[in-house]
Amino acid sequence: MSQTAKTGPVAAPGTGAATDPRRAAHIAVRIAGTAGRRILMLIVLLAMVFAAVEILPGDAAGASAERGESAADLAARRHLLGLDRPLWARFAHWMTALPTGDLGTSARGQKVTELLADPLPNTLVLAMTAFAITVVLSLLLGCWAAARPGRPTDRIISHTSTAAFAVPEFVVSAALLLVLSLWTGWLPAVTVTGGDGKPASWTMLIMPVLALVIPQAGWNTRVVRGALADQASTPHVEAAHLDGLPLHHVLLRHQLPGAVPAIATGMATSTGLLFGGAVVVETLFNYPGIGSVLAGAVAARDTPLIAGVVICAGAVVSLVLLAADLIRYAVLGARA
Amino acid sequence: MGVTRRQLLWAGTGIGAAGILAACSGGSGNSKDTAASGGTPGKPRAGGTLRVGALGHASAITRDPHGTQANESDYLILALVFDTLTVPGAKSNTVPRLAASWESSADLKTWKFKIAKGAVFHDGTPVTAEDVVWSLKRLRNTPSGAARLPGIQAKNIRAQGADTVVVVSDYANAEFPLMTRFASFVMKKDTKDSAIAKAPGTGPFKLDWFRGGNARLVRNDKWYGGTVHLDAIEVTMFETPQAMANALLAGQIDLASNAGALAARTAESRKDVQVLRRPNDMAMPIVMRTAKGSPFADERVREAMRLVVDREAMVKQVLSGYGTVANDILGTGDPEYAKAIPQRKRDLAKAKKLLKDANFDLSKTYELVTTEDISGLADSATLFANQAREAGIKIKVVKQESGAFWEKTWKSGDFYTSYWGTNDSVIFFASKTMVSEAGQNEAGWADAGFDAAYRKAISSADPKKRTAALKDLQQIEHDRSGYLLWGMADGIDLAAAKVQNLPKLAGYGRVQLEGVWLR
Repeated sequence: MSQTAKTGPVAAPGTGAATDPRRAAHIAVRIAGTAGRRILMLIVLLAMVFAAVEILPGDAAGASAERGESAADLAARRHLLGLDRPLWARFAHWMTALPTGDLGTSARGQKVTELLADPLPNTLVLAMTAFAITVVLSLLLGCWAAARPGRPTDRIISHTSTAAFAVPEFVVSAALLLVLSLWTGWLPAVTVTGGDGKPASWTMLIMPVLALVIPQAGWNTRVVRGALADQASTPHVEAAHLDGLPLHHVLLRHQLPGAVPAIATGMATSTGLLFGGAVVVETLFNYPGIGSVLAGAVAARDTPLIAGVVICAGAVVSLVLLAADLIRYAVLGARA
Repeated sequence: MGVTRRQLLWAGTGIGAAGILAACSGGSGNSKDTAASGGTPGKPRAGGTLRVGALGHASAITRDPHGTQANESDYLILALVFDTLTVPGAKSNTVPRLAASWESSADLKTWKFKIAKGAVFHDGTPVTAEDVVWSLKRLRNTPSGAARLPGIQAKNIRAQGADTVVVVSDYANAEFPLMTRFASFVMKKDTKDSAIAKAPGTGPFKLDWFRGGNARLVRNDKWYGGTVHLDAIEVTMFETPQAMANALLAGQIDLASNAGALAARTAESRKDVQVLRRPNDMAMPIVMRTAKGSPFADERVREAMRLVVDREAMVKQVLSGYGTVANDILGTGDPEYAKAIPQRKRDLAKAKKLLKDANFDLSKTYELVTTEDISGLADSATLFANQAREAGIKIKVVKQESGAFWEKTWKSGDFYTSYWGTNDSVIFFASKTMVSEAGQNEAGWADAGFDAAYRKAISSADPKKRTAALKDLQQIEHDRSGYLLWGMADGIDLAAAKVQNLPKLAGYGRVQLEGVWLR
């Protein structure tokens, strides 16, 4: 986490960062600039998606073709899907339709927006629940460890969180499945979807959420602990200690506020990892989200559908990153 | 991708068969011949909801009965809501469904299908010949229509009276009823594309709801085909066989359709789970190019390759034992399959001698091209390469990406693995992949003796002569075709103990759930 280092020593926060109108305007410009950069990043990402699918062997026409289809049929299908046009033209066509909310048509002729209508909210529920739990859990554990620096509690939390982060989602998922479902029968093994397009029971969310939370909470606990440690050596925190203030008071009032920008940035980057993890976790638990749509779309070389998933997930991640930026600006003011 | 390709195996049943089977008329009933199995026999109990898991991808969901259904889940739902004219059977590979009977003209070009008595749509309107004609024409006008109704032009499909449909083929085609088994779903005349998702069918179940690949179906009390015992069927789509098997083991579903060997192995130890094997489900032959210029052009070399393979080991290791040894003849599930031809066994000494006689270059390394389209295919190539090494043949396995394989290797490569999902007709393979003019002649085979036997088989009015010709045809195929068919994979379903009378036919026979009941 380079952000941890970058924030550096910080004076007591909340010193009226946004009270001065000139500074407020300055911050607004900075935020607009950041938002612009994020949008530009998304466009570059989408261009990369289009290019990457192009590089993969095979194309959507071949992937959806029937055995024994003639070369002429294949060429006709290619034309129908617009695959005979140059890559940049297809990309430009897709991008120009984007502002109207049109995500194009999949290789099987379905509207991409329709294909994502149910899965996207499902994934958002999964990822956001996991995110909220990750935030709370890592703040609790990080503060707990920081309150007892160098003591056994600190060491145990540090080592456990490192181990948790090192274990990939599919290993966590497999272990959860075995223990919580197949051996004990406590939880449903997979998600079954009802007529409303949502999981039939909320208990079906527990294991997928846990599978995402465990590695991410591990990582963010380290971030919180690290950011608090950086703050511990700042003059105002040392002064607070010398004043004889209670430990938890110093931690929550003096250390934590200064650590917030680093923590926010660390957490925000987790959203990207959460979405990435969701692809794996959704497949293992048969959770009806965009992860499973994406897996099938990549296999079918279905560029509009892949791009549709990427823009939706990318927009959410960008918003969270922007929120993290806002927090940084609010706390650090113009020095951010 | 694998599902997509496999799906074609039945969709693209393009046969250019000219033959005689002067009149093949089916019985009056329904699916009595579509024999089923599972558990102890007993008096069927009415009621209950069967929860079925089937494989599918959210990105490939198709609602159109005449579309390209890459998802097994979609096909299952369609096959329960809509009826085809005929369905696969056990004693005969084509048995009646919406068509109660059929007959052909003497020249085998004109086929008449009679609609089952009492057949009505889910909204109560009777099925007319006009509905069937409209549906067949719609099917024919889809992009793959030419392959699904081979030799039939849309203008040559017409109604005769209220209950008879007449189809005129461009050429004599004894196998035409076989072609109507999988995609001839009947909808009401003039159903708009926008209304297809909710269009009434004629099948044993009515659609209650469909969402995101999952569906709930309820019993159609007015079904003409017989008694349906279940109250409802709930279909859940699964991305992977592993998740589907877990759902079954955890009791969330009652039936995991086509779960595969891996899932079967995990479930084998569980007493509360039935492992159902449907034999002759999938063929994974090795194709050797027979045309000039290929290292396998000499039939002695091909014979040697067939003697080199250890079939039992292949079935045991590649299929985890869930399969049977085969005898280099495709169409193993055909009631006319030549069981009398002795099983070819491993004989390295004879193989070496044949290779020597044919001056086969043993110093060279031969590339065997394969894909990972279906489970076990690449493993079969690797294991065969290891077995061939024991005979001094050096084989290097080359894994190709699916798209590249179908475009570049299939039908033109010297040495590659193929796979087929429709295995209940010897004549199907003969006409489609082996007769010299076949459109999908995978091995580039042209054998005058085989062609003659084939033509005799399809043009013999006398069933005895036809059977004799089919025997000759299979003997020649066994002796010198471009195929090495070492075994057949079983189709494997997993089911809870309470589920009775499950389908036991291979391939898409697995969707015949109308006879199922719960104990």
